[in-house]
Amino acid sequence: MNKKTPLFKIMAYTFLSLFAIMNIIPIFWMIVNSFKEEQEYAANPFSFPATLHFSNYTKAWEIANMNIYFLNSLLITFVSLVVTVLLGSLAAYFLARFTFKLRGFTYALFLLGMLVPIHATLIPIFLIMQKMSLIDTYLSLILPYTAFHLSLTVFILEGFMRGFPKDLEESGIMDGAGVFRIFWSIILPITRPAMATVVILNFIYNWNEYLFALVLITSNSLKTLPLGLANFVGVETASYTLQMSALTIALVPILIFYLLLQKQLVTGMTAGAVKG
Amino acid sequence: MHTLKQNKLAIFIGLFPALVIYLGIAIIPIGISLYYSVMDWNGIGKMTFIGLDNYSRILTDDTFWLSVQNNVVIMLTGLVGQLPLGLIMAMLLNKGLKGSGFFRTVGFMPVVISSVMVSLIWGMIYNTEYGMLNSMLAFFGLESWQQNWLGDMKWSMLSISVAYIWQNCGLYMVIFLAALQNIPDEVNEAAELDGATGFRRTLHITIPMLRSTIMVAVVYSISNSFRVFDLIQVLTGGGPAHQTEVMTLYMYNSAFMNLRYGYGSAVSILILLFSLIVITIVNRLGREKDA
Repeated sequence: MNKKTPLFKIMAYTFLSLFAIMNIIPIFWMIVNSFKEEQEYAANPFSFPATLHFSNYTKAWEIANMNIYFLNSLLITFVSLVVTVLLGSLAAYFLARFTFKLRGFTYALFLLGMLVPIHATLIPIFLIMQKMSLIDTYLSLILPYTAFHLSLTVFILEGFMRGFPKDLEESGIMDGAGVFRIFWSIILPITRPAMATVVILNFIYNWNEYLFALVLITSNSLKTLPLGLANFVGVETASYTLQMSALTIALVPILIFYLLLQKQLVTGMTAGAVKG
Repeated sequence: MHTLKQNKLAIFIGLFPALVIYLGIAIIPIGISLYYSVMDWNGIGKMTFIGLDNYSRILTDDTFWLSVQNNVVIMLTGLVGQLPLGLIMAMLLNKGLKGSGFFRTVGFMPVVISSVMVSLIWGMIYNTEYGMLNSMLAFFGLESWQQNWLGDMKWSMLSISVAYIWQNCGLYMVIFLAALQNIPDEVNEAAELDGATGFRRTLHITIPMLRSTIMVAVVYSISNSFRVFDLIQVLTGGGPAHQTEVMTLYMYNSAFMNLRYGYGSAVSILILLFSLIVITIVNRLGREKDA
């Protein structure tokens, strides 16, 4: 492309580096201090730790109930994800490959969900869950997570499935396969790339969700990671280094997840953002 | 083929489960919210119809207008802080400089971290006694600049805005980067032949080419600003003295702290209305320029 003058390069790199430093420093600072003793941190929040106190981590893990929160988050994230993707891909298939009277309306209805802020539904959902005695159960989170992510799931998968050639299903019909057989054995396998995006997005959204958990979960043994962490930091105000260890424990897996799958995650989130 | 495509029973079975969950939990509750919003109700006792009383009470409450004002601050923070910064980053990353991949990876990182985690990290930065910001000021001998970043009325909203920019800037960066990479090379080459280089090309060729993406980003950023909750609830809880409260927090407090479900529902309907109105206006403005 165009020639880049040295001056331009210097300015560009300065700007990019400043931005990167702003993004890294808070996290780096937290991780470094998570290895210190409380007094050491208080004395100098900018030094490197004299010795690495891994005991902070074992302590934080226990006091903060991290194992419980991790398990709850994993379970709720995973179940919601499976249900969303299963129901969403089925709905997307019929919307993409079939013609029926209410097709356009149904599709528009699903898209509407991307415009609705969950706050407009929070109070009724809370009261419905209460009436059904579902408050403080896994189901009370799995249902909203599924419902609210169906929109994006249907949207992405429908767009992808619609692009398939029309005669794709014909061989299946020749072999006498039914609709659901064709869906399962022909459509789903070739939807894999879009499916990967949808799965990763759903994972991130469910894993990070806070508001529903805050309203619908009360007992400690059912709290998810964001809720448990917020709670822990609110209560455990005595030791900052312990807080930092707990946060680092929660942060590292998601950072690894991001670094491994960043390409798909970035495409997915941009698609979700732009079309949502 | 014909029979298969018209298989009504199959279509019904395929769409029904998704529709039931989706309508039941994401759509119908909006109607229920609307219904509750004209009721006086504490969630347990008798529900009394009071017409638009909740609305008129909300609209005369100073705290509510304070929260609207803060929503405007958050909205402007997104529009003035996140979008231009994201655009500049995207343009620099699009130059094909060495190390662009690294800067993109780091730039997008905060978007993936949960809002709660972002709040907790920034809570530590702003901590009065040992926080990174005050310690750093002390380190440079600027003790007089130290502040109670989250507890001081003057600073709290600014502190939240900075954390908000940090959290979402990367999202707009990758949105714009994707759009930039879709601009065909010929456009840039033609511009160069015409003698449009550097800043002039950016202003007259690149930005107009990105117009539709910029519009989408603006609308997205606005609707996001109305949804902000986690960041502020965890960071300040809306304090000090409601100085950082936003509409979603006002709703949460009305309904779940003060058990006024009718009142809270009316707030949630107002949030929906306000965001729809602002987005419609922006869409109109965007279209008028086209004509």
